[in-house]
Amino acid sequence: MKPNFRNWPVLLVLLVFSAPLLIMLAFLLVDAFTTKVPGTMIPNGVTLHHFRFLWTDLDDGSWGIWGVTLNTFNFALFTSLAVSAISLTAGYALSRLAFPARGFFLGSLIVLHAFPTVTLIIAIFLILQLLGLYNTLIGVIVVKAALELPFGIWVMKGFYDTVPWEIEMAGVQDGASRFTVWWQLVLPQVQPGLMAILIFSFLSGWSEFILPMVLAPGTEAQVLSTYLATMLLDGGTQADFNLFKAVGLFYALPVAIIYLIFQNKLMNIYGGGTKG
Amino acid sequence: MRISIENFTKTFGDTTVIDNMSLDINSGEMLALLGPSGCGKSTTLFAICGIHRMNGGRLLFGDRDVTKVSSQKRNVGVVFQNYALYPHMNVYDNIAFPLKVRKESKAEIDRKVQEIATLVHIGELLQRRPAQLSGGQQQRVALARALVRKPDILLLDEPLANLDAKLRLEMRSEIRRIQLQTGITAVLVTHDQVEAMSMCDRIAIMDEGRIVQLSSPKEMYEDPSSDFVAGFLGNPPIAFLEGSVDEAGFRLANSEVTLPVPAGITLPGPGSAMRFGIRPEFFQPDNALKVKGRISFVETQGREELYDVTLENGAVLRSIQTQGGSYRVGDEVTWGIAADRILAFGPDGDRL
Amino acid sequence: MQRSSWLGLAFLSPALIVVFLFFLVPVVLTGFFSFTNMSTATGVKGGAYVLNASGLRALTDAGLPKSTLEQIEGAGYRVDAKGLEALALDFGKPVAEEFAKLHEGEVFSKRRDVERALKDLRSNPIRKTRDRKQAADLFKRSLMNERFDSPTAFEAALEEAGIPETDRPLITEVAYTGWVWTTDNFGFLFSLDSTWQYAKNTVIYVVFTLSFNVLFGLFLAIATFYLPAGQAAAFRAIWFLPRILPPVLYIVMWRWFTWDTGFISTVLSGFGVPPRNWMLDTEFHAWTTIVLINGFVGASMGMIVFSSAIRAIPASMLYASEVDGASRLQQIWYIILPQLRWPILFITSYQTMSLLTSFEYIYLATDGGPGGATEVWALAAFHTALNNYGGNLQYGLGATYALILVVIGLLASLAYLRLFNFRNLLVKPRIEG
Ligand SMILES: Nc1ncnc2c1ncn2[C@@H]1O[C@H](COP(=O)(O)OP(=O)(O)OP(=O)(O)O)[C@@H](O)[C@H]1O
Ligand SMILES: [Mg+2]
Repeated sequence: MKPNFRNWPVLLVLLVFSAPLLIMLAFLLVDAFTTKVPGTMIPNGVTLHHFRFLWTDLDDGSWGIWGVTLNTFNFALFTSLAVSAISLTAGYALSRLAFPARGFFLGSLIVLHAFPTVTLIIAIFLILQLLGLYNTLIGVIVVKAALELPFGIWVMKGFYDTVPWEIEMAGVQDGASRFTVWWQLVLPQVQPGLMAILIFSFLSGWSEFILPMVLAPGTEAQVLSTYLATMLLDGGTQADFNLFKAVGLFYALPVAIIYLIFQNKLMNIYGGGTKG
Repeated sequence: MRISIENFTKTFGDTTVIDNMSLDINSGEMLALLGPSGCGKSTTLFAICGIHRMNGGRLLFGDRDVTKVSSQKRNVGVVFQNYALYPHMNVYDNIAFPLKVRKESKAEIDRKVQEIATLVHIGELLQRRPAQLSGGQQQRVALARALVRKPDILLLDEPLANLDAKLRLEMRSEIRRIQLQTGITAVLVTHDQVEAMSMCDRIAIMDEGRIVQLSSPKEMYEDPSSDFVAGFLGNPPIAFLEGSVDEAGFRLANSEVTLPVPAGITLPGPGSAMRFGIRPEFFQPDNALKVKGRISFVETQGREELYDVTLENGAVLRSIQTQGGSYRVGDEVTWGIAADRILAFGPDGDRL
Repeated sequence: MQRSSWLGLAFLSPALIVVFLFFLVPVVLTGFFSFTNMSTATGVKGGAYVLNASGLRALTDAGLPKSTLEQIEGAGYRVDAKGLEALALDFGKPVAEEFAKLHEGEVFSKRRDVERALKDLRSNPIRKTRDRKQAADLFKRSLMNERFDSPTAFEAALEEAGIPETDRPLITEVAYTGWVWTTDNFGFLFSLDSTWQYAKNTVIYVVFTLSFNVLFGLFLAIATFYLPAGQAAAFRAIWFLPRILPPVLYIVMWRWFTWDTGFISTVLSGFGVPPRNWMLDTEFHAWTTIVLINGFVGASMGMIVFSSAIRAIPASMLYASEVDGASRLQQIWYIILPQLRWPILFITSYQTMSLLTSFEYIYLATDGGPGGATEVWALAAFHTALNNYGGNLQYGLGATYALILVVIGLLASLAYLRLFNFRNLLVKPRIEG
């Protein structure tokens, strides 16, 4: 395009606004691995001391980092599997199958998709107590999966919508039942959608904080977000930010890896309208 | 297998797309459903294969009533406009899919796939994915997949629309060859009159959900039942002269010129509107019934030349002549109409 | 019904069950709970009948006669199986057996009478006064702190203690430890000054954060559109990070950035500014941090949505305007912004709704502080019902706060449905068989 415009003022504004983020990120990496003189920002030595939580117990009553990590992984994985499995069938039904009250279900999906789910947490808390699932990982998984579901179904429906009808018509003409058509002909076409939902809900589960905190506060069901939050909120003025950052880095590692691999895909999904 | 559509009605919500249509398709025949976009050709096709349910009427295959039979059990092969090949399977698996669904043995499947691949000439493409095929090759695969399980009926929805001009010519004769070779009853949906005339035994021409005329291509061309049919068939298209009935016969609108009416037709009352249809090949310099006009457009088509002649009242006649006339735009000409080939239409468009 | 109908319902049913359990039921229950006085004290599952000190105080306040209160506190000395068992344990079987033979079923109104009866035991009297006092106390029966599982058992005990019939219903009501239906929550809520403070805070929070989100999202989208591809990608990646990083870690970084041992304080101390907590020292600072924390996350959504909308504008339109001599600002104003009308509306309505109800970042950053200055409605609901320092969680009152949000959320989603033209989505399936 014509150079009737200079880029540097825009660049400057962008840099000023991005400065806090850049500083935070830079020092997240630096502080986790270094020591420094109190009252300055300049590191004076490299250390792995801040990562001691990986091999010693921090004597804070928590369950040990590896147990907590396993919990977090299970939480994210099973949430993601549940959301994907249910969205896979529900999305297809809403996109392609005729059944009574289909319009109503589609409308409800959109309402649910836009509906702010945190408002329900008090009732869910009480329901889990009644069901006896309070303070268990399973309870939180079920709830998290349920709350992620409208988004999952919505995305999956979008992917199904792009599969040409003619492929299904051809399948039906070839003598296959609607189920076979779905399983053998349509599913392979929506694999990218399935991947997207798996990744998305895994990350969402991995990062989730409010639900585990409210619904499973016990140590048995602790996950990394509550582990780090407990440190942070109990720390008071003696906050050891180097330790927090080391834990945080450990916590964010899978997120960073997934982000680096799937960056563009993720941006598209998040752009599709998610909570927040 | 003979197909009978009896009093077929189809509605989408409040709009009636097909109203009370009846059509018989003979066994082994290839029939074209021809008509402008949106007239209901695909809808009819989908009703035959069972993708759409009929809101009224009956559908018979031979003597079997299949109105309520599901698509899967009708044994109809369909080729879609965009071929609808399964993108994640290679050509072999695409063709084998209908047989696998029927749980046929591996050996049986292999034999049938090889046989049909030879028939449609794609023997060497079996391991490729659809994305690695040209349009014409995809078309052949789709045909093979539709035919491999020996369906009673073959339906083709605008099978040539996505091909370039040269391939279209080639596939036209290929599809016809395969249809004749297998002897299958086939219905071809198209809005291209050349395709319909060149490939099919009979043409059913449709307009707004009704069948306007059903006859062989030649008959339909020479003896159209309405101005709609006459206008739809023929390339370059027929030219119409507007006018009215007068004591001398047919009098051109806004003009003193009158033309004699073809023999043997009953005229509507004097003063009522009438149109003459004249095909380009019947408006030539040496025909007898002369009219005067000025050449307003010349198109050289290689072997032939096409002229538009504007008459004094502004109406346009078309003429197609073998090369050599060397007329130019603006030339005054007096050419003749073959009086016995004039098609006369009444006020409602019906042939007189 | 067609076969595909059954398949459709079968395919949908897992989702329906989950949606029923975790959306429909919670919405209804939130409504129910807001009409109860449920709290940690009442429990969720119903309760028993116990009179304790605070219950007694309530009864005094209710103007119960003094005599009745005394009767409750000391309902006399009863020689019953329970007391005898204790007696046998402490003073030997023979004593208990004899005492039972003589006095079982009797009620003494004064301790002295019991002591005398014990002293008078023929075979095995209790000699020491201290022991007799102790033994007599084993038969002391008071309604205080005794648990009864049903109202009938409780009323029977009241009757036995000789409490006048007119006073009994009130006592029973006060003694009930379970939850009851009530409509008081709503009146109570609106009588609190803090409720109006929460509402005001919420408005501040939503208005400022939303403005930041939308305006800065727009700026990011437009700026990265004009920047060279490499730079644009770098900025998009940086700004996408707050959204993808776990919230807790994100807040760790912000706390480090703003706290008195953190970045700002350390850097400023080099210029002689004494270190302080820049997040919590003043209300203004608290709000600034909250808006920035949420804004940095929210802006990325605007950025992504607006970017793809801008990229969808035909390039020829932009070229044409450049040929016409439009400056970039004119181009943005006359060509790009009009094309972004719908995306902006979408982001605005969507984020209004989620901001209205979100509290995660505020909870982690300021927890409503300093002094409740950043306590928004959703956080108040959360604090009231699920997380407060007092330890008495008021589910009923919290549910009332939440109910108001639920209603707003439902109305907003319905409005959203209309705005974005639901009919367009209702395409009939094309295979009818
Ligand atoms: N699912 C549907 N819902 C509502 N109307 C429909 C539906 N399918 C088709 N129609 C309408 O029915 C009419 C006939 O459609 P049809 O697809 O049969 O046309 P066609 O003759 O095949 O046209 P084309 O040559 O463009 O393919 C059209 O007016 C179309 O808009
Ligand atoms: Mg069609």
